[in-house]
Amino acid sequence: MARHVAELAIEVIDLQKTYRTPFRRKKVEALRGVSFTVERGQIFGFVGPNGAGKTTTIRTLMGLIRPTGGSAKLLGHAIPSRAARFRVGFLPEAPYFYDYLKIDELLDLAGRLFGVPGAERKRRADALIERVGLDRARGQSLKKFSKGMLQRAGLAQALMNDPELVVLDEPMSGLDPIGRKEVRDLILELRDQGKTVFFSTHILSDVEAITDQVAIIARGQLTAQGATKPRRIGGELTVTLPADADVDAWLARARDLGGRVVVVAPRHETLEDLFMRQIASADDSAAAPEGRT
Amino acid sequence: MLGRIWAIALNTFREAARIRVLYGILVLVVAANVLALVVGQMSVHEEERVARDIGLAGISLFGSLTAIFLGILLLYTEVQRRTIHAIVSKPIERWEFVVGKYLGMALVLTVLVGLFGLAMTGMLAWQGGGMTVAVGKAIVLSWMEVLVVAAIAIFFSSFSTPFLSGIFALGIWVLGRVTPDIQNATKSASASIGAIANVALRIIPDVHVYAVSGRTLDGKFTSIHGEFVAWSYVGLAGLHGLGWIVGLLAFAAVLFHRRDFA
Repeated sequence: MARHVAELAIEVIDLQKTYRTPFRRKKVEALRGVSFTVERGQIFGFVGPNGAGKTTTIRTLMGLIRPTGGSAKLLGHAIPSRAARFRVGFLPEAPYFYDYLKIDELLDLAGRLFGVPGAERKRRADALIERVGLDRARGQSLKKFSKGMLQRAGLAQALMNDPELVVLDEPMSGLDPIGRKEVRDLILELRDQGKTVFFSTHILSDVEAITDQVAIIARGQLTAQGATKPRRIGGELTVTLPADADVDAWLARARDLGGRVVVVAPRHETLEDLFMRQIASADDSAAAPEGRT
Repeated sequence: MLGRIWAIALNTFREAARIRVLYGILVLVVAANVLALVVGQMSVHEEERVARDIGLAGISLFGSLTAIFLGILLLYTEVQRRTIHAIVSKPIERWEFVVGKYLGMALVLTVLVGLFGLAMTGMLAWQGGGMTVAVGKAIVLSWMEVLVVAAIAIFFSSFSTPFLSGIFALGIWVLGRVTPDIQNATKSASASIGAIANVALRIIPDVHVYAVSGRTLDGKFTSIHGEFVAWSYVGLAGLHGLGWIVGLLAFAAVLFHRRDFA
């Protein structure tokens, strides 16, 4: 049964984009009839190898590229739609910003373009700068930002309008493991706030970790779309126990309370867990007073 | 709408103010004025006349070249560096972006022409003369010329590379300056050549209306050293320039609207 339009954040129908190369005028089909839908409140992963058509699809949705065929809607508005762009936040791939601006100037510009009033603009900019961890970089121009800092600045400018739909093109690209985890946490936080997040990536572990739905694109065509994990059913609870916990006692207590244990699985430390632990430990050592071992 | 246009204009002003070449141009204008002093000394009691001519020529020449430089650079770099992706994906119309870019540039050029004018005033004061109403009108006309030239450069930059845009804008500016001379020259040519030249010259912004000193207007010789144009002429020239600016920006916006930012 077709989903009601109001439930859809993104609706793409048979989207096509054909380029002509300069001089030789050779035809290049970047998108060959891409169709998919994104429900509201979901985290949607758009996966594909380099050159598959991910960025072309996203730029078409955001009105940067005009499609040569098909149609698409953002929040119920046919693209290109200025009304929809008021409610959408966008992080471009490998974002380039005016490098002479400081982070609060960049966010002020973004806020002005979204029509956010002055006092609210300042409040949101301050909150977002803190949220993406750029508080210490306030005095620097973007020219001095690392790639990871620029990515975080890009995320902040995409959220200046408190969007309903957030479109992120390769948001984890160029980030170290800490940065990637922070972006993943931010995406989850946005979903928890009721926002829809659509992001492209070619890092499958990121998709698996946080998305509700995924679509795979290759050579300008969608090859698959589906749920990445079973939907959460009302009342289902996942409990993570500490390493020294009495598992039998926990299971007995759960049964006494009328619960049903679906699965008990040991959780192995991932490389990311180890990395994060080592970094935290190094940070603690650096912060410790001199003389302490 | 105005808030978005102003945001782009302000940002463009910030961007342009960081271009060091502009400060080099300012130094060149001051140097031109110093040169005017030296050349004036070599003339026979014509110091002030030489200073006015060279000063005004400097404003028109360097102002117009700066307008071409900024016009072809600022719009192109937005696309080239992909800074435009984070801008036009926001709720701003592309024509608002083009107008904002132009206004930011116009603001920078206005400040520059103001500084050029100040340098010229200083030089005239050094000569023992001063600013006259005629010179003031001539500076205002040069400022209008610079703003029209900036619109020409933006128009070409909306669809072409900086190199080609620069060549086209420079060519149109030079042609627009010598339109009356070309018209006079074609009078003696065949009727068909005259008709073609006439049509061709109509689509070229006639920037010669801003450089009237030393020309004959309505049978009267006009000079900043003698009888110059009335304020009504300056006002009409301003409206004329505004028409060209609006027209050129409208075409630029249409062309920019059709572009893909891949």
